Amino acid sequence: MERRGVIVLGIDTSTAVTSVALGTEHEIVGAVSFAGARKHDDVVPAIEQLLAWTGKQLEHVHGVAVGLGPGLYTGLRVGVEAGKALAQVLRVPIVGIPSLDVLAFGVHQTPRTVVAVMDARRKEVFSARYRPVHGGVVREGGYRVGTPAALAADLEAVREEVLLVGDGAILYRQELEVSGRIEVAPAPFAHPWASALVTLAAPRFIREETDRLPEVVPLYLRKTDAEIAWDQRARGASA
Amino acid sequence: MRVLGIETSCDETGVAIVQDGTVRSNLLASQVEVHERFGGVVPELASRAHVEALNPLLEQALGEAGVGFGDLDGVAVTVGPGLVGALLVGIAAAKSISLAARIPLVGVNHLEGHILANAIEHGPDLAPAVCLVVSGGHTMLVHMPEPHRYEILGQTVDDAAGEAFDKIARFIGLGFPGGPALDRLAQQGDPDAIRFPRAMADSGDYDFSLSGLKTAVLRHVKAERGAGREVDPADLAASFQEAIVDVQVAKTMDAARERGTRRVLLGGGVVANSRLRDRMEKAGAEAGIDVRFPSMSLCTDNGAMIALAGSWRLARGERSDLSVGADPSMVLA
Ligand SMILES: [Zn+2]
Repeated sequence: MERRGVIVLGIDTSTAVTSVALGTEHEIVGAVSFAGARKHDDVVPAIEQLLAWTGKQLEHVHGVAVGLGPGLYTGLRVGVEAGKALAQVLRVPIVGIPSLDVLAFGVHQTPRTVVAVMDARRKEVFSARYRPVHGGVVREGGYRVGTPAALAADLEAVREEVLLVGDGAILYRQELEVSGRIEVAPAPFAHPWASALVTLAAPRFIREETDRLPEVVPLYLRKTDAEIAWDQRARGASA
Repeated sequence: MRVLGIETSCDETGVAIVQDGTVRSNLLASQVEVHERFGGVVPELASRAHVEALNPLLEQALGEAGVGFGDLDGVAVTVGPGLVGALLVGIAAAKSISLAARIPLVGVNHLEGHILANAIEHGPDLAPAVCLVVSGGHTMLVHMPEPHRYEILGQTVDDAAGEAFDKIARFIGLGFPGGPALDRLAQQGDPDAIRFPRAMADSGDYDFSLSGLKTAVLRHVKAERGAGREVDPADLAASFQEAIVDVQVAKTMDAARERGTRRVLLGGGVVANSRLRDRMEKAGAEAGIDVRFPSMSLCTDNGAMIALAGSWRLARGERSDLSVGADPSMVLA
């Protein structure tokens, strides 16, 4: 790759914010975000604005990074599919990164344990726990979905200082701030911004650790209601 | 003009390339296995499956047509009616393709796709015509006085025909989707064995009702069993199918006569039903009306019909904005 680094187009639509950004490992060339009520279909118009603003062309893009969620399914899928089709037409590599990782990366300068918490609707949250290291964060354990109460119980057992980050942390602040060791990061950090996604993904392109296009799928973490009902019936039948 | 068509409105991922009215490639990823055990389409599972199937299918469609994205003159995508989450997957991909390949985007009404699918095999001179669109989601009579102008004459007030077929097929134990299996079974039965009601046959309009027929079938089987008699499934299937076909043939021919058109076009998955095809052709021959329908693979949901309809709209100079969204209850107008 050229010395100035790979230019990455980042897309994250896992929360109510549509966020796209263009940049390298060391620099964000431009970013566009739409917050508030989503029309479900504003990803490509956002990219169009981003290109117009930065004066860049899609031909300058060396790779596409998409936030895989977890998140709100319909909007999340629109961002992931838009990114996949762009990578396919441009014939550039793609990298999918869980949006919880992006959230945690956004606060990696803290010395504290980080727990990324996203609103999962249905009075549940998606979460994952991270340990900050030099230049980033390292995830400890898996991606989870559960009630804020269940997460609060886990947090109570943690002995270190904890920084909670994400819209789920803000929404369920009262349930989750179970001790003085826990703090919730403020709103500007609460979304997986595409600029953080670009910074996080750029080294993957340089190292050529990219994903196969068909394997880039959203991180759902939850089965559909139909599948849950089916499993329950199957369990009932075998019991 | 070489146009890519993308169809993701329900449970089939369809991608096709149509060049000047000729199908260069037409690929389908069916989700039957995904939804089978639920006895119907699960919208969230449909959307998930589209994300997995769409991009490999695009590659395959280009490969079969021997072209690249750069050789396309436009991209057409179904924007409605259909399942909103499923539609949005195709729309997201189509917009990205439009932006990155610098080709115009056009949103297509799925129902227009079913009607214009006829142009692929029967040529572009379709209008004026009366069109019957029958599928798992629609049962609709439409007058098309000229290309891209539609006047809805009537539609189902409850279940779609395909839905009724699926429900009765499941009741007989034929699995999901049951349409083709019911068609085969009915070929061994007597269509006059049981006289089921012809709902709204004499309603004087072009609306359909199918939920009453479904109830009548269930009630008949219950009554027979109560009287200690078994019902022959082939006779049941044939008689049920006949009741649906009778009404559809009668209303379609009435509409054609009333509108003074010599042509009837059929479209939608239920047109794959052999009895409906045969009876329509026969009625058309008797009335001197030209009845046309696409071959099997172009009746059911597919990308080619969207590419074809889109190419016609692009040729008229129509374009969709990159902000175009899904319209789950889009009307044919
Ligand atoms: Zn259809």
